[in-house]
Parts: sequence; structure tokens; C-alpha cells
Amino acid sequence: MIVRTPTQRKRRASTTDDDYSVFTPNQQQLQQQQQQQPLIIYEDDPNESSHPNSSSSSHQMLCTYQCRQMVKSEFLDAFSTAEKQLRDYQSKFESLNDDLCKSEIERKKYYDQLSYSEQELAGAKGREKALQEQLMKEVTDSQERFQKHIMSHSELEVKLRKEVDVRRHAESSAASAKEKVNLLEEKLNNLSESTEREKNRLHREIARLKKESKLSVSRISANLERMECRASYAEKESELLKRQLEDHSKQLNECLHQKSEIERKLLSFTFPSQEVSTTEVYTLVKHLQEELRNCESEVQEARRLKSLSDNIELMRERLSEEKGRRERAESELLKLQEVQLSMKELEDELMLWKFAIKEIPGISCSDDLPIKFAGLQKEVVDNMMKVGEISARLKLTEVALEAAENGKQLTETEAALTKEKTEELTFELKRLELTLSSVSGERDRLRNEANTWKKQKNVGPAGEIKNESLIQELEASLAEKECSIRQLENKLSDQKEVISRQYKEIMLLTERLNNEARRIKSLEREGDRLRSEISLLESKLGHGDFSAASTKVLRMVNTLAVDNEAKHTIEALRTELQKTKDKLQAVEELKGQSDVGNLIDADISEKLARLKTQIATLEKREERYKTVFAEKISVFRRACCSLFGYKILMDDHQRPNGIPVTRFTLQSIYAQSDDEKLEFEYESGNTNILANGYASQSEIAHQIEIFVRKMNSIPAFTANLTVESFNKRTLS
Amino acid sequence: MATRTITKDIITLRGSAAIVSEFFGYAANSILYNRGIYPEESFAKVKKYGLPLLLTQDNDVKAFITNLTAQLSEWLESGKLQRVVLVIMSKATSEVLERWNFSIETDNQVVEKGVSREKSDKEIMREIQAIMRQIASSITYLPCLDEQCAFDVLAYTDKDVEVPFTWIESDPKLIANPQMVKLHSFDTKVMSYFVLSSPLYRRFCSNREPIVLDVNLWRYLCRYTRLIHWFPTKMTNGTNNRHGIWCVS
Repeated sequence: MIVRTPTQRKRRASTTDDDYSVFTPNQQQLQQQQQQQPLIIYEDDPNESSHPNSSSSSHQMLCTYQCRQMVKSEFLDAFSTAEKQLRDYQSKFESLNDDLCKSEIERKKYYDQLSYSEQELAGAKGREKALQEQLMKEVTDSQERFQKHIMSHSELEVKLRKEVDVRRHAESSAASAKEKVNLLEEKLNNLSESTEREKNRLHREIARLKKESKLSVSRISANLERMECRASYAEKESELLKRQLEDHSKQLNECLHQKSEIERKLLSFTFPSQEVSTTEVYTLVKHLQEELRNCESEVQEARRLKSLSDNIELMRERLSEEKGRRERAESELLKLQEVQLSMKELEDELMLWKFAIKEIPGISCSDDLPIKFAGLQKEVVDNMMKVGEISARLKLTEVALEAAENGKQLTETEAALTKEKTEELTFELKRLELTLSSVSGERDRLRNEANTWKKQKNVGPAGEIKNESLIQELEASLAEKECSIRQLENKLSDQKEVISRQYKEIMLLTERLNNEARRIKSLEREGDRLRSEISLLESKLGHGDFSAASTKVLRMVNTLAVDNEAKHTIEALRTELQKTKDKLQAVEELKGQSDVGNLIDADISEKLARLKTQIATLEKREERYKTVFAEKISVFRRACCSLFGYKILMDDHQRPNGIPVTRFTLQSIYAQSDDEKLEFEYESGNTNILANGYASQSEIAHQIEIFVRKMNSIPAFTANLTVESFNKRTLS
Repeated sequence: MATRTITKDIITLRGSAAIVSEFFGYAANSILYNRGIYPEESFAKVKKYGLPLLLTQDNDVKAFITNLTAQLSEWLESGKLQRVVLVIMSKATSEVLERWNFSIETDNQVVEKGVSREKSDKEIMREIQAIMRQIASSITYLPCLDEQCAFDVLAYTDKDVEVPFTWIESDPKLIANPQMVKLHSFDTKVMSYFVLSSPLYRRFCSNREPIVLDVNLWRYLCRYTRLIHWFPTKMTNGTNNRHGIWCVS
């Protein structure tokens, strides 16, 4: 059976290619089915009879031979056209295959590029991750370090505040101590000035008193010497008289013995020899009477001598008494001077204490003074202790400050390093962003190209779907990375803000540190100044000054000098005692001998009288000489004074080594005050000028240097001084 | 391997006072000899502190120093002695020429509580030797005393100290406008020590103007001194030195 096919439209040859393209997929599928299915000639199918339903169709499908031929021709035409179309389609297919290959190649290329860019992205992301991790680590480390530094800074700040407070307290206490020290120093200066003035005045008075005492002592010594001479003379006389007394006593005894014999003889001779020798008896009696008278006169002389010796003893006793009185007077004078000195010192001290009581606040009576001074001293000592402690703390804080500064420098360097690193990271980020942007641009371009390629070819959906899924995955990953990059950027910006804040804080802390360092230096200078003041005060204390409130100075009473003097005096007294004892014994012997009865020879009485007259004449001559000498010496002194212009006072002294020297005091008649005196010492032909207040003046000392030391001429010096003082007097 | 062990002896107040007062006696003798206060022939050589020292044979001076050191020891034991000053004066004018200042600081803890300290004998001896050598060497820079001089000893005590009958209160015998010279300083472990002071010296030059040279050692507190030593020694009865001697430089 021939399948009756509907008549096909007659197609134009030009439109065949176009129609091919216009065919719908269903039509294309039908054509393909038709092409695939073989042409079956429709014949009546014997089976159709059996199938009455199919007969209608066969009737419909029956055509004539012509129709068959026509159909054949049409079929052949269609077949040729189909073959043409096929060829066209094949060529198109080939071209499309070529295009597909090209597109595949290009797709592969793009895929490779994509993979490369993905790899680059992954690498960049890895690097970014690593950098971010490193950054995070560094940021965390720097944060930790900053936190630590901030903690340390805060601790140091607290310490600094404490030290500043302590320093303020110490400064205030040091200032108050300084003020007190200044006040005390002023008082000390005033006290020292007043003591020096008093000392000078006392020295002058002592010098004057010494001179007066020396003059009095010299006078007394002269008197003593005179008395001693008299006493020695009297002793010698008494010895002589004693010897004479002894002789006379012996003679007396002999006379008595003779007298007794004579009396015996007289008694024996009275009876028998009355007639014989009356004249002899008369002469004997007369002789004896004369002798008796002589003896009586000698006894009277002896008694007078005895009275003289008693007087001598009395005088000696008086001498010793006067010596004792003189010594007592001298000792009392010394004591008086010491008492006066101590009195004046006490008065001065009282005045000073009164002034101190008035000036120092918080004191109502003198008992409060030592307490106040002790308190002040304690305060000073405490303040010095505090100053020492503060200086030690200052040193510790300096050390801590130095450590903090070092730490600050370290942190600054680290901050600079982190800054640099952050800058590098930012640069890196920017670069990555640029690469990302470039990669995203590339991606977009690729995407557009892929879309265009998709549009051009709706073939191979599976590979394209894969590519699209890959691209979508890449895009999704890119989007994620972009989000993470943005987050990191946000974090970086936050950290930058934190770093900038910390940097500002560090700058503030460094400014504070610098201020504190300056304050520390100023405090160090003050501490050095206080230490120098302390050393000065310590040197003053070391000089020997002491606080009378807490300290007293003691010394042994019986010093070696006193012991020596006492020993000397004891020895001298012992020798004098021995001498007086010897004299007493001698006088007692004399007394014993003179009590019996004295026979004095006429020669001895004459000798005595002669000696006495000689003594009297010598004494008179001595007194005359003295008066004449005094007159002459006064005339001589007045003449010297008028001729040379100086009042000269002569005084004898004895040096500690026992050498006697003569001291001359010269006062110019043109002197304007009593203090202008020159002192010279004369010893065995050498004259030396002595130092005193007047000679130590600059002008006088200069003249002494020139005339005395260099030119060795004291007269030239005195003459020059006279001329200068005369000029001053006349000018004034 | 043998190691050197540092032996330390216990130091108490009583022994310290005895040793310090004894040292003052020897130091005073050394000063008297070196300054020529007494003639050389009146001194005899003795061995003490490992050094040949000179002691006066004058009975009066001996007795004086003995009584003095006994009293000083008593005051040291009570912790009442602050300073001892040896003053050299001119015999003729009684003017103070030199002033040797020995300052003392007693550890109040030891005085009040009776605690003890430790120090080795060798170190003690070494310190004393150094001080005695310094006294002897001071004559190299001090001028000679041309005139005849006498000496006296002043004791600076607390105000509440009872004055013995052989002692009287005195003025400090200061020198006006002195020049100060400081010698070596020593610090002590337990803070009691003498301060050796060099003399205050007054000299007349050719034009008879007084030139005052005051050489004075002063003590420093522990924080200001560098070399500070004790010289306690061990006594047979267990009492040891508590005071230290040091010089200031």
C-alpha cells in the first residue's frame, strides 16, 4: 500500500537553507523520522480485508500510477532537496563543529585563564589569610604589649603621683627646715658676733687686768724681795748675835764659875785675910762690879737682840702671812675674773635665751626652749632622714623612669614598626583589592563572553552547565572573599584607630615623663644643695659646736698642769716649812741658852753697834739712791718722751723657759687713742717687736715689715710712725 | 678543696666600751708623742694591735690617762658619751692650738635591749692599725709646735649624766675661724664608732699674724660613708666591743 502523503508545498530552492533554519524542532524531528523511516509503498494489505477499519484508509490512500509517478517525482525532488539540505546541513554542521571546536578551545583557554585566576585568587587569598593572621598576631601582640605598657604606665603614673605628693611634702618640710635653719643660722651669726665682741672686750679687760696684776705683782715681788733681803740680813745678824750670845753665855758661865769661886774664896777669905787685902778685895769687888755691870749691859743687849729676833720671827710670820694673803688674793682675783666671765656669759646667754624666747613662737618660758630646740633638731633630723629617703626613692623612680622611657622607646619603635607593617599591609591590601578588582573585571568580561557564547550556541548544555556552575561557584567564593576582605578592612581600620589612640596616649605619657624628669632634676639639684648645707652644718658641728640642751662638756678637775702647780706649791711650802722648823729649833736653842744668863764681850757690842750704824747708813744711802734714781729716771723718761715722742714703760717678765726678758711699751704722744701702743721685748741685747692689736693693723704692719724686718731698724720705724701720727694729728 | 672560713666573734656593749676606751688611751699617747707634747725620752715602746706603739712613762700622765679611760669606759657602757676631744694648748698663753675630735655613736638597741653583734678579730685589728697609722702620718702635713704645750681632754656627754667629783663642766675650747681637714672615714656594722679628728692648729707667721689651720675629722652617717669598719674583739669573759672606730676622708 502506498502511504498517501499529503501534497507538499513546493518549495523554492533559495529558501531551502532558510527553511532549514526556520524549521521547528518538531518539524525537524518529523523530518528526521521520515528520513530515517524507509518509504513504504502502500499496497492493499490482504489483512485489510480482515480488518474492515483499515479499508477506508486504503481507499483513501489509493492513487493512480500517475499519482504514484508524481509522488515519486515529488519525492525525488524532495529527496534531492533533502540531500541538498543535508549537504548544506552537513557543511553547516561542519562549520558549526569548527566553530564549536574553536569555542571549546576558547572555552578551555578561558577555563585555563579562569583556573589560573582562581589559583591566583586562592594564592592571594592564602597570602591574604597568612598576612591577616600575621597581622592579627602582631596586632594582638602589640595590643598585649600596649596593654602591658599601659598597665605599667598607669602603675608608674600612680607611683609618680605618690612620689610627687611625697616630694611636695618633703619640699614643704625641707623649705620649712631651710627657713628654720636660716633663722638658726642668723641667730648663730648674731650670737657669734656678740660672743666675739664680748670676747674682744673681755680680752682687752683681761689684758688690762693682767698688766695691772703684773704691775702689782712686780711691786709686791719687789717688796717681798726687799723684805726677804731684810729678813736675810736680820737672819745673818741673828746668827751672828746667836754666836755672840753663845760666846757671851760661855763667858758668862766662866764668869759665874769664877764668881762662885771668888765668892767661895771670899767666904773663905773673909775671916783670916781681912787685914791683909782689903785693897785687893776692893779692887776685885770693883772689878767684879764692873764686870757685873758689863754683864748686865750685855745681858740687856742680849735681851734686846732676843727681842729683835722675836721681831724678826714676827716679821717672818707676817711675811708668810702676807705671802699667803697675796696668793689667796691672786687666786681670788683669778676666780673673780672667771666668775665675772661666767657671769657675763650667763648674762649674755640669758639675754640670748630671752631674745630667743621672744622670737621663737610657741615658747612661753625658758623650760620650753630645750624642748623646742630638741623638737626642732628632731624635725631637722627627721627632715634630713626624709630627704635621704626621698632621694633614695627619687633614685628608684629615676631608675623606673629610665626603664619606662626605655620601654616607651621600645613601644614607640614597635609602634613605628607596626605602623610600617600596617602601612605595608594596607598597601598589600590595596594591591590585592586592585588585583581583585582586576580579577572581578576579568570575571565579568569572561562572564559576558560566556553568555554571548551561550547565546550563539545552544549546544553542549552539559559542559556549559558545568562551566556555569564552576563560574557560579567561583563567583560565590569571590563574593565570600570580598566579604571577608571587607571585614578585614573594617578590622584593620578599627585597629588603626586603636593604634592611633594608643599613640596619642603614648605621646601624652611621654610628655608627662619629660615633665617629671625635669622635676626630678630640679629636685636632685635641691637635694645636692641640701646635702651641701648638711655637710656645712656637719662641719660646723664637727668644729665643736654642740647643743647645750642635750650635751654638756666636762673635763677633769685635777689636770696635769694643776697637779704640777699643786705639787710645786706643795714642795715649796714643804721647803719653807723645813726652813722655818730649822730656824725655830735654832731660836729655841738660843732661847734656852739665853735664859741662863749672858756674858757679852765689849768687842762684840762694839761690833754690833758698828754693824748697826753701817746698816742704818746703808739703808739711808739706799733710800737716797732710790729717790735720786726715781727722780733721775723720771727726768730721763720725760726727756726721752719729749725728745723721741714716746712714753716708755719698762716691765720685767720671765719666759716659760726661765729666761728673764724686759718688755717695753711705747705710746706715741701723738696717739689718738690709748690702744695705740707698741710692745717690744729686750733680751740680752736683742730687741724684738711683739704683736698686738695696734701692730696688726695694715699700715703699721706694712711699716714693720719694711723698717724692722727688711731694714732691721726699729728707730727708723718709730721715727716714721711719729711723723705719720704727727701729720694725722695736725691734719685732724 | 679547702675553703677559708670567716670566723666572727660575738660583740657586746661592755667589751666594746673597754676596747674603745683602751684604744683612746693608746691614741692619746700616740698624739702626745707625735705632736711633741712631751719629750721623746719619756716614752717607751710597746706592742699593741700588732704595731709598735709608744706609751708615756711619766707617772702623772699615766695616772691621768688611766683615770680618764676608766671614766670614759663607764660612760660608754651607759651609752651617754657623745664625743671625746683632746685639746692641745699653749702653756704660756693657754691658747688652743689643736683639737682632736673623737665622735661616738652608740647603738641604742644594744644599750636598751642588750643584743649582740658579730665581727672577726682580724678585721678589728686591721681597722685599729689603719687608724693608728693615720694618726702617725698626720704629722707629715701638720706644722711643728714650737712653743711648750699642754693637753687636756674634754668629754661631750648627755645632759642628764651625773658629773663625777673629779670632773667639772667646761667650755668647749673652740678655735675661731678654723680650717677643717677631713681624713678617711669608716662605717660600722652596729653604728657605734669613734671619729678621729685631726688637730685644729694655730700658727704665727713671721709678721705675727695668726694663721689658723684647723684639721678636723668629722663623722659621716652610714649612708654617706663608703668604707666603714668595726674593731670589736673577743674577750675572755664573752664581752666584746660594741663601738667602732672610723675616720673620715
